Amino acid sequence: MPYYDEIELGDEIGPVEKVATDDDVVNFCDIWGAPKPNRFTDADTAAKSGMKGTIVPGIMTMAMMAQLLTDWGGPGSLKDLDLVFRQPVPHNRPLTMAATITDLREEDGQNLVECDILMTGTEGERYIGGKAIVALEGR
Amino acid sequence: MYLDMHSHSVSSDDSRATVEQYVKWIQVLRKRGHQVDGIVLTEHRKFDFDKDYSALADQYNVLIIKGSELDTRYGHFLVYGVSQGLTRAIDFADTRMDARALMQAARQHDAIALPAHPGRFGIGLTDYIAQGETFEDVEIVERFNGGSRQGENERADELCESHNLLGIGGSDAHLTSHIGTCMTNFKAGIKNANDLVDALLSKEFQPVWLEDTLDGSSQA
Repeated sequence: MPYYDEIELGDEIGPVEKVATDDDVVNFCDIWGAPKPNRFTDADTAAKSGMKGTIVPGIMTMAMMAQLLTDWGGPGSLKDLDLVFRQPVPHNRPLTMAATITDLREEDGQNLVECDILMTGTEGERYIGGKAIVALEGR
Repeated sequence: MYLDMHSHSVSSDDSRATVEQYVKWIQVLRKRGHQVDGIVLTEHRKFDFDKDYSALADQYNVLIIKGSELDTRYGHFLVYGVSQGLTRAIDFADTRMDARALMQAARQHDAIALPAHPGRFGIGLTDYIAQGETFEDVEIVERFNGGSRQGENERADELCESHNLLGIGGSDAHLTSHIGTCMTNFKAGIKNANDLVDALLSKEFQPVWLEDTLDGSSQA
């Protein structure tokens, strides 16, 4: 895990590319307990909601973006994640997640790293964007 | 001078960047050798008469101008030089306003309104032109938009070429690290919103990418 003292403004976290497959979404919805049918796993329900196809649940994409940060900062390091869902996220397409560090500060005895975080598609679609705060240990 | 003509602070509902974070980030860009002289805050469907960023502007040596980005039935329009008179003439919250009426009202009130991201799929001006709509008052469009997906800025390029339009650049930043990704290089010195309108009317400007400003090299 990185130490707070090693981090500089503008440092990048990622990018990491993932695909949320149909099976991934079905498994997530089963564990989550999503009522069926739903727009995440059922094409007809998605069409009735005005979607072009089934979509990845927002809470699942949020988990994927959180994982980018906890894989980097370690378990328990993520203090805040504030996202704006700009477009529906499709199944079975490469999704790129990356973060850029925009602020470093010490607050209430913690070393806080603030970053912009983005999930994009292969053609530059900005599906989700927001900011996050991660706490890191100092040396 | 280089101005980012399109940005959103937390005053817009879908942004997560404060104005202070933007001006601090501009210091990071400057340390990397880029030239960023100022930004225009174009908040969605509103104009923030009550907000004063002059202390931040002085502290960080960044020109901060306020504008608006309005929804119309023909896509989004950036508005520069907003006055009380213009906000009385036009309902900024009306998402179905006629963009042509907005452009005319803007000029009557010494402001200027121009299409944002005209190449955007589904809501860009190019789609409405393709449907047969005409916009005789459009002389300038946002040619470079930092939030565009693949193909959208190319469509804006084609629109500029085919209709002999001038172009500006703006990042469309909603996050701190996106400020300044596209800008406009003005020949004139600009100190406020009135100067900005005059500079746009002078037609002496061009859109640039952040990379074009490395080492502060100005083409104007």
